Amino acid sequence: MRSEPIDPPDISWIRVAPKYITVRLIGWAVSALISLAILSVPLILLLTGVWPGFPAWLAWLLAGGTLVIQVWIGLLIPRQVKAIGYAERDEDLLIRQGIFFQRLMVVPYGRMQYVDVAVGPLERAFKLASVKLHTASPQTNASIPGLPAEEAARLREQLSARGQARLAGL
Amino acid sequence: MTIPEGNGPVSPSREVPLTPDRAENWHRVHPVSPFVRGWIALAAMAYFFGRDWFEAMFRGEPLWFLTEGRGIWAVVVLLVVVLLLVGAFVLSWWFTRYQVTEEHVRVNSGILFRQHRQARLDRVQAIDVIQPLLGRIFGLAELKFEVADAGESAVRLAYLPLASAQQLRATILARASGVELDPEHPDEAPEAPEHPIVQLSPQRVVGATVLSGATVALAVVVVVIGVAATVGFVADWGGLPVLLSALVPGMIAVAAGYWSVFSTAYNFRAAVSPDGIRLRYGLLETRAQTVPPGRVQAVAVTQPLLWRTKDWYRIKINVAGYGVSAENSGARTTLLPVGTRDEVMQMLALVLPDPGTEDPFGVFTAGLAGQNNDGGFVTSPPRVRWLSFLTWRRNGFAVTETALLARSGRFVRNLAVVPHERTQSMALHQGPVARKLRVADLQLQTTVGPVSPVVYQMDIDVARRLFNEQSARAAAARRHSVPERWLERRQEIVPEQAGGEHGKAEDEQR
Repeated sequence: MRSEPIDPPDISWIRVAPKYITVRLIGWAVSALISLAILSVPLILLLTGVWPGFPAWLAWLLAGGTLVIQVWIGLLIPRQVKAIGYAERDEDLLIRQGIFFQRLMVVPYGRMQYVDVAVGPLERAFKLASVKLHTASPQTNASIPGLPAEEAARLREQLSARGQARLAGL
Repeated sequence: MTIPEGNGPVSPSREVPLTPDRAENWHRVHPVSPFVRGWIALAAMAYFFGRDWFEAMFRGEPLWFLTEGRGIWAVVVLLVVVLLLVGAFVLSWWFTRYQVTEEHVRVNSGILFRQHRQARLDRVQAIDVIQPLLGRIFGLAELKFEVADAGESAVRLAYLPLASAQQLRATILARASGVELDPEHPDEAPEAPEHPIVQLSPQRVVGATVLSGATVALAVVVVVIGVAATVGFVADWGGLPVLLSALVPGMIAVAAGYWSVFSTAYNFRAAVSPDGIRLRYGLLETRAQTVPPGRVQAVAVTQPLLWRTKDWYRIKINVAGYGVSAENSGARTTLLPVGTRDEVMQMLALVLPDPGTEDPFGVFTAGLAGQNNDGGFVTSPPRVRWLSFLTWRRNGFAVTETALLARSGRFVRNLAVVPHERTQSMALHQGPVARKLRVADLQLQTTVGPVSPVVYQMDIDVARRLFNEQSARAAAARRHSVPERWLERRQEIVPEQAGGEHGKAEDEQR
């Protein structure tokens, strides 16, 4: 992946597991099917003649629009996952994400209050886990999803050890 | 950690715990407290019965619950309800006890579900002494002890006699500060001497209220009414009364806006003592807040539109214990409700004792009212002109040796100051339009509060350099930060072992 303008130079990002694309795609497929099913109801009613009075253009727009948007979201998922990266520096952890709206976050080890490791059912099936860092600021939304389970455990231990060594007050 | 059960002697609240309590020493709050807290329930009952009584008297009818032999039952029910309420009050009072030891403050409460809570004294973020209207009549005050918990108070002692609350505050602050007490009188923790800084005159408070944002809202409302009335009159439109009645909530909001400015600024006094900044204010309910040194996480100086005519500013702060959800947080997080530029500088000097620059007045003046590059500020590049044609000359930042200043806003001027040693984390944001213009926003993340410092639309190279340098500066500042016991003599900084209880109140429920 090429370096984006906001990325600092000389950083080699660790990317999340490619399997996470599959996890995200499964989640996307379920939600896309549900929303498509709900928003296609007017079209089905119209075509089966149950509700002939419904404006045809609106029915087609609802169903077609949902389809287009969902396909668009689905096509973005692989690139979004590939855009997630993190890098451990001496004093802090860097996390980047996003394609259109990019974000680069730095969390100093000394500011970490605790580290969460979360695993959902789908992630467990693929042996993945998410690591989330918490500081005293609720705005610190520093989560790294889609890590291989052993990498998540290593990162948690590593972060806790470094946090303890550099612990600062508030 | 085992918490002592508290079967030992319990002293009445008039005895102030001057010496550190031993594990078996406990105190109770003032016996009147449950009634001061529960008076709303009693008042509601009185209102409910009293209203029926009144109406019936005016109609000349007998009361429904006093007719057909129901009178005796009504009295019994009333008595039982009152007795139950009073009993609950007394029981909750009896089972609530507290102690202040050398290291901790502990509160045990609850009847069926007991709660034992303790908080480390040196983790104190702020202490408030509050007197509600009824408390002022009885000479009682509530003491609130805040740790970094973003909202819920760690310890609330309601109510103590005012003098006891003040003495207790002095004791807690003295122990939390690590000050070395006079060895001949180790049991006397004197109230730290104060030096008054700012006192707001009634004229200023009234002026600030009149010129506040509520007036702008009022002007909008008046214009809307005028236009609607004219159009409605000319067009003979039947919906006019409906539209006008919809404006009533707007007027209520305007009145509430006036009230919040007025009641916060009323009788506001700020002072400084070795124990930190003291703020006192309030019309009906009076508050005295103490924020120890090094507890302010971020500062924002804003100037609402109409205050520009007087060159007045308002200062808001983020303190880890205050949060946003707690009641009255709007007033609690206000460091200065309305002040001139000189007063703002004085208050900023309290929060940021070392500004880290040769010419603090010049830098902060540029931050408050300047634009372009005066005072060493770096602003957005001119190519973002068409995107933010009003603010691009204001949006910018300046760095001193101790703090980062983020400036923004053309009509409502805003300056956020974050000490380097208080930076939690940072994020660079860039959307599609910003990428085309090669700019990015830098967000500095701090604890919960009204201040959220953002440096808007910096050239991408400048933003990236700031991002890197700022993380290095923050890391360096953390190593030299003020110890939590602010009066203790500085020692070599030893990494702490216990990370688990960091700044949190410890609860144990069973």
